[in-house]
Amino acid sequence: MAALSDRRRINAPSGGTSAPVFSKALKEPGYLEELRPQRIRAPKELRKIFLQTSIIPSASGSAYLEIPNAPSSHPATLIPPTSSLKIAASVQGPKPLPRSAPFSPTLLLSTTVKFAPFATRHRRGYIRDAAERDLGVHLETALRGVIIGERWPKSGVEIVVTVLEGDEGAWWGQEGGSNGSGWGLLNVLAGCITAAGSAIIDAGIDCVDMVSGGVAAFVQDPSADGRLLVLDPSPAEHRDIIAACAVGYLHSRDEVTEVWLRGDAGLEAADSLIEGAAQAAEGSFSVMKEVFIENLEKNGNAQGLEGAGGKRKHADVEMAG
Amino acid sequence: MAPSQPAHVNLSPAELSFLRSSLSQTPPIRLDNTKGPRDFRSMIAEYDVLPSTNGSARIALEDGTEALVGVKAEVEKSQWRPNVEGRHTLSVAVGVDVDMADDDGQEGEENKGKGQNGWIEISVEIPGFREDDALPVFLASMLTESLLASGELKDRLYINQRFHWKLGIDVLLLSPPLSYPLALLSMTTHLALLTAHLPALKSEKDEDPLFDDDWDAAVPLYPKHDAQGGTNVDKPPIIVLAIAVGSNIIFDPCKEELAVADAVLAVGCAPSNASSTGARIVSIRTIDPPAHLTPPAVPNSMNSATGGVAPASTADALTQRELLSATGVWTPPRGGMKRSLISQVTSMVVGKGGVAEEVIAALQAIEVG
Amino acid sequence: MPSTLPPYALPGTLLGPATKYLPGPGTHIHESHIYSSIAGNVRSTTSRAAPPPTPTNKPPTTNTPTTPSTPTPANNTKSKPLPLLTVSRDDAAEGQDTMGILGVGGGAGNPILPEVESIVLARVTRLGQRFASVEILVVGDSVCRESFQGMIRREDVRATEKDKVKIEESFRVGDLVRGVVISLGDQSNYYLSTAQNELGVVMAKSEAGNTMYPVSWKEFVDAKTGARERRKVAKPF
Repeated sequence: MAALSDRRRINAPSGGTSAPVFSKALKEPGYLEELRPQRIRAPKELRKIFLQTSIIPSASGSAYLEIPNAPSSHPATLIPPTSSLKIAASVQGPKPLPRSAPFSPTLLLSTTVKFAPFATRHRRGYIRDAAERDLGVHLETALRGVIIGERWPKSGVEIVVTVLEGDEGAWWGQEGGSNGSGWGLLNVLAGCITAAGSAIIDAGIDCVDMVSGGVAAFVQDPSADGRLLVLDPSPAEHRDIIAACAVGYLHSRDEVTEVWLRGDAGLEAADSLIEGAAQAAEGSFSVMKEVFIENLEKNGNAQGLEGAGGKRKHADVEMAG
Repeated sequence: MAPSQPAHVNLSPAELSFLRSSLSQTPPIRLDNTKGPRDFRSMIAEYDVLPSTNGSARIALEDGTEALVGVKAEVEKSQWRPNVEGRHTLSVAVGVDVDMADDDGQEGEENKGKGQNGWIEISVEIPGFREDDALPVFLASMLTESLLASGELKDRLYINQRFHWKLGIDVLLLSPPLSYPLALLSMTTHLALLTAHLPALKSEKDEDPLFDDDWDAAVPLYPKHDAQGGTNVDKPPIIVLAIAVGSNIIFDPCKEELAVADAVLAVGCAPSNASSTGARIVSIRTIDPPAHLTPPAVPNSMNSATGGVAPASTADALTQRELLSATGVWTPPRGGMKRSLISQVTSMVVGKGGVAEEVIAALQAIEVG
Repeated sequence: MPSTLPPYALPGTLLGPATKYLPGPGTHIHESHIYSSIAGNVRSTTSRAAPPPTPTNKPPTTNTPTTPSTPTPANNTKSKPLPLLTVSRDDAAEGQDTMGILGVGGGAGNPILPEVESIVLARVTRLGQRFASVEILVVGDSVCRESFQGMIRREDVRATEKDKVKIEESFRVGDLVRGVVISLGDQSNYYLSTAQNELGVVMAKSEAGNTMYPVSWKEFVDAKTGARERRKVAKPF
């Protein structure tokens, strides 16, 4: 959006330069391909998830989510082969609406998703771009269905999500490729849903269920000669993603509040994508549950919800979906 | 909150409750009772309305919403990317063959995979909204996403190594957004793209591009026949809006129907490559149903003006209100959508003889007729 | 019966059928089962005077929640009120041990909103001809994170001689007022009333800036200068 240029800061020259291209990659045709990360997880195995709540004292609820680098099959290069996801979400409110706002019988939700300027390989500006606004709308849709808004008349809640590190859309050696960019946004959205969902529960706002995010994708599979369904895809690890889907999933109601499916999916593929994404969300849910049970136990309760005893330091759970 | 704003209607809880109960009957009784759940509202459509564009269309719905779309193509210099060449040879070396390549002719093969997402730019303008408001941004990204889902359109924009077409698609909503305008905008865009033409290229290979100035020789952006003369060709996608009320699924809702929906789903679909099935899905998005923002009704039992007793505290009010579910007193819907319902919607849209097929055929007929 | 209840619950945890319990704060009903809606401890209380449930199609029309548990004859089978399920966050334990990355006590505190009938403490911010604007600082016993806008209209200042009330003889900017919320009001203001003996100005400073003490239902006296100022005074004890 050219019309929305940032006028308040002195910005780097537009256009800029692309990140370094190493001469070896140009001279030896096979070299670049050697560096390409390979998925060594099982197709249905998720990356590790770290989640902690109540990290921002001034907010009424907050959560921090981290999905570290996928284990890589390759030695370190200057540019990390895969990207990680780090998201901080905070909930402000419920608080009274501003004076100018019209009366609202329900809780007004406003969601802001912002990438830190250093979150991705290409620097982001300070003004939210179209992708970030779009993510904000998706996140709002995912959360609106969960919150029981009628219990908070005349008030608003602000959910601010900062993406400290975002999943890249594609491997750095392939950027701008065939149907490259944008797949990382789905992972970011799923992370945002999990983080913001946790922050809302941390804030004590009435919810019908816990909402967690998950992603599934169909990738071109060179070995099996066809499409393969993978959960929690790290876009760098896959050459061609055909279609991918992120959902906001309610575990105990078995419902979805948000579906974002893109790419060339057939009819059955769409169903199995949503199914797969819900499975991945189930994984995030189990981490969320552990974290909240732990928090409740810390507050002086002896027994666990389902016999989940024992104190853990943090929920750092590895799981296979 | 913006996407639900235009659809926000001021209906009283009693009206909402009435609408919802009539829509959840089998078969549902719609606001326009002559229509079935799958019927679209009637519309007026025309194309080639803007002489200075490569393709344009205008569609007006019966409720007064009207959209205008212009497609402009400009030649642009491509940015040199160091690893394009490398990648190309590599993919050959590994032997990854994309199965769709067979459908394309020799020319298609050459352009395969060279298109870039940045070559297509969609902007949506809606009166009363800034261009960075959530609604236009959401609509534009949904339209873009569906257009880019099949790589074929952007590959056709490739001219040679140094030049490409840059496609600007400008979507204008001429009326205030009465109902959720996504379906209207996508149909108008579909028609404009379907009728868009690019000047015929006269130069060869990597020369500076030269074009035929004869407009009659221009090639359509979406060719009507593929190289073999078949008719199974790529067509622009359309987006169908569906709402769920109870277990009923209703397509092309008007704004009042939208206001009582439990869930709203936008399904983007393009005609299938293989003629056997109806269409294929290129994108799905849920849209926040505006019903989440409606005020809950006050039942007579809780209203002192109607002989009831106002609850003594909010805790009591909460208890009484929770016990009201299934009494027909309006409460905003909660939760999401069952997965089975989503798959029901998608199969109704893209299945054989589905809604998508009908809409695409209808728009095709406009161009032919 | 309560043995089946989990000690604590997360949003979406099934607590029991709606025929056996009543939903209280922190819970909701979905498909005639009670689920938790916040993360916290589950409690079940029978002492509450709650309306007997009519889980079928009829809303509880005859029962009044205010009358102390008198089972109505209309409700034939169950004569005892059902236990009320509530889920609440234990704030006592919080704050002492919850070290966030950035400090102590992140995410603590129940979000509070003023509701009708709640007693609030508010500071007067502006006087008008017909009303006094206030900011609500304390709701019940809990201090608000952020103040809420409120308004005391002239006719709500006291119960008698409403037409003779003058705002400037009842409040001054900076006074601390105890009031009761009578309406959630318009888009921006909660409406408060001080039309009871216990309600009105509880703390005030004189024009000289000294603390004053109340001497009658309508006057404060400056402790130092002895000057009298008119207020709508809350009954001091």
